[in-house]
Amino acid sequence: MAPLSDLRVLVHASGVAAGYAARLLGGMGARVIWLEGPGGSALRGEPPFLPAEDGQDAQGDGTSALFAYLAAGAQSRVVDLATDEGRAALGALLSEADIFLDDTPVREREALGLDEASVAARHPGLIHVSVLPFGAFGPKAGWRAEEICLQHASGEGNLLPNGLSIELFPDRPPVKIYGHFAEMQGGIAAALGALSALWVRDELGGQFVDVASQDAMLAVGAFAIQRLGDGSVEHRVERSFRYGGVLPCADGYVELLTLEQRQWEGLVKLLGEPAWALDPALADSLERSRRGPEINRHIRAWAASRKVEDIVREGQKLSVPLAKYYTPGEVLRDPHEAARGLFQPVAIAGVGTLPMLVSPFQFDGAVVPLAGGPPVLGGGA
Amino acid sequence: MKPLAHKPLSGIRIADFTVHNAGPFCTHLLSQLGAEVIKVESAMRPDAFRRPHPVYGRMGPATFDQVASTKLSVRINLKKVEGIALAKRLVAVSDVAAESFRPGVTERLGLGFEALRAVKRDIIVLAVSSSGQSGPDSHFAGYAPLFGAWGGLGELTGYADGPPVEMRHVMDHTVGMNAAVAVMAALHRRRATGEGGLVDVSAREVASSLLGEALLLAAAGREPRRAGNDHPRLAPHGVYPAAGEDCWVAIAVGSDAEFRGLAGVIGRADLVENPYFATAEARHANRGELDLALAQWTAGLHAEEAVFRLQAAGVAAHTSWTTPQIVGDPHLRSRRAIVEVAEPDGTMRAAVGVPMRLSKGADIGIHRGTPKLGEDEDFVYGELLGLSRAERDALEAADVIY
Repeated sequence: MAPLSDLRVLVHASGVAAGYAARLLGGMGARVIWLEGPGGSALRGEPPFLPAEDGQDAQGDGTSALFAYLAAGAQSRVVDLATDEGRAALGALLSEADIFLDDTPVREREALGLDEASVAARHPGLIHVSVLPFGAFGPKAGWRAEEICLQHASGEGNLLPNGLSIELFPDRPPVKIYGHFAEMQGGIAAALGALSALWVRDELGGQFVDVASQDAMLAVGAFAIQRLGDGSVEHRVERSFRYGGVLPCADGYVELLTLEQRQWEGLVKLLGEPAWALDPALADSLERSRRGPEINRHIRAWAASRKVEDIVREGQKLSVPLAKYYTPGEVLRDPHEAARGLFQPVAIAGVGTLPMLVSPFQFDGAVVPLAGGPPVLGGGA
Repeated sequence: MKPLAHKPLSGIRIADFTVHNAGPFCTHLLSQLGAEVIKVESAMRPDAFRRPHPVYGRMGPATFDQVASTKLSVRINLKKVEGIALAKRLVAVSDVAAESFRPGVTERLGLGFEALRAVKRDIIVLAVSSSGQSGPDSHFAGYAPLFGAWGGLGELTGYADGPPVEMRHVMDHTVGMNAAVAVMAALHRRRATGEGGLVDVSAREVASSLLGEALLLAAAGREPRRAGNDHPRLAPHGVYPAAGEDCWVAIAVGSDAEFRGLAGVIGRADLVENPYFATAEARHANRGELDLALAQWTAGLHAEEAVFRLQAAGVAAHTSWTTPQIVGDPHLRSRRAIVEVAEPDGTMRAAVGVPMRLSKGADIGIHRGTPKLGEDEDFVYGELLGLSRAERDALEAADVIY
């Protein structure tokens, strides 16, 4: 059976973090209900938008690919929390839920009956998870943030890009990780917090779990803090790998990273054992670090005239860690992912049936299938 | 050892065979939540943090290793048959066995899922790998930048006119945090059904899971591309220069109200009246001009000053922080997202906490530093496994406990 098939989750989300927490739990079998206002979650209006069934490019009123991904498999209930009737309906939904995920700003919660004390008083067994950019507690609890702010508030934003990109553009502002990386870390942490609090519900009852996307993004960036303790302030220029990294090839990019001695030896073979690489001094890893720029000049010249597929195929035979930079389309068509069932066709109202990423986890050799596509407002898929 | 009682995962024991970053970060999170994590190591292949590190120019062992903290350490030589037997005894008293070898390695060692199930019927095995336990690429070796490349995240990250960008430790660690969620789900299932199981986490699939909407667009025939700091809806949106060298502010503006706030703060109320910027769509279409006006204002101010003014006007903004700024932040300290930990010699240093606050139960987080190799063998071998001193001496003499 799916790991969380007994679990009932209610989510009230206008941002990615809380929505993604629900998606992760739903992806492991939990029954998820999106609590939406009469106008629907703000995420329904968030780009990118999917082209409509008739082939027309949809604009602001189209189907959000982001919402479709986050809410796949869930149900939707429309409740107007500004009314007494709505708050009564909320109470009924909460009394049936094990976990409530909410990203309402703290200052707006009390009026809607969503503050920690009110929820705990009425639903003592509920795991009430608050998911906000800076959390529900602390001097910045009321601060606003979009994804780009969170990446920079947690340190990783300042450390990107590195490697080839910063060599080419040393004076540009730092560049963010694609999409909603930091907010999704908030969602992952919220799912972890929810399941941890649920684990002790029989002993402790329900409780309040306060998650901040900033904290979660900082946690996954822990290594930079560890380096600070060691006496180094990381910087995007110095953080680059000394050699290897992003290699431009004749028809695309590959990533090359040799950290172990035997991987370096495999790389020398892959390069055809040129004279420069056979320099005995380069057998030492610290010497290679020192001479990284020189090594890179050689490797880049070698890669520039070769095709990605050839380099990757020959390199993998020699156990050299190499990967093609796949486009989303290539991930979608990847035979490896097809064999693992990473994508499942789901129906999306107004768009049609599309393959959607199911879940990054497998249990006992298979993903837990999605229950369907995203819900229409107030209904199912 | 301090008592773990009342942390949420108190009573859960994890035999931890993971190495590198992704797997150890998973068990590190669970250890901070109260699980008793027993890190299995060997003097033959000591963990990376116990060695010099050429990539980071570290000439000796690390004095603190975030992902090893709050774990117990025992030595087992898995190259010996008796070492495999000892590992199985450890798994037999554990709830979870976690590993991050290349797929197939644990089977060859005799520590595969079926072998472990034979010694503990309801064991949960977590297997973290670069490409998963099945599929044609399952044997591929990889590190964080490769996970990002295979998964599509690297391709979509970067300047629009530049190359893709390498993902770094955040990629490893998000794999670990995802894995922790999956382990918790498996524990809930075990409680409900009595069944353990195999949890397979593929790092490249975690990377792909972070761009689900772009994959959906590709499925609809579109070709999403990297776009630097651009946002498909918000404008202005980006990283703007502040006064000083390499100082930056991240700012994002969506609604009309936010734009009015921004225009007022930067002394450009005229922008609100300008039809070029009258709606969110118009501002997005003409964002280049807005970026110039905004950068002109930020460049004259200290980053924190600019951010405080923008936040006061209801605009999302944050300084592009470096690590010294992060560890000194009262907000992160108040949330225990940044904590102080002690080095072996008593020196205090900053570390990151477990990213959540729970309203009930004992304080979660780091409760001890990095264990010495084999530091907890009296407890694990003596108390948990009931090995006598003589048995342990014999295993040490035979290089099994090594």
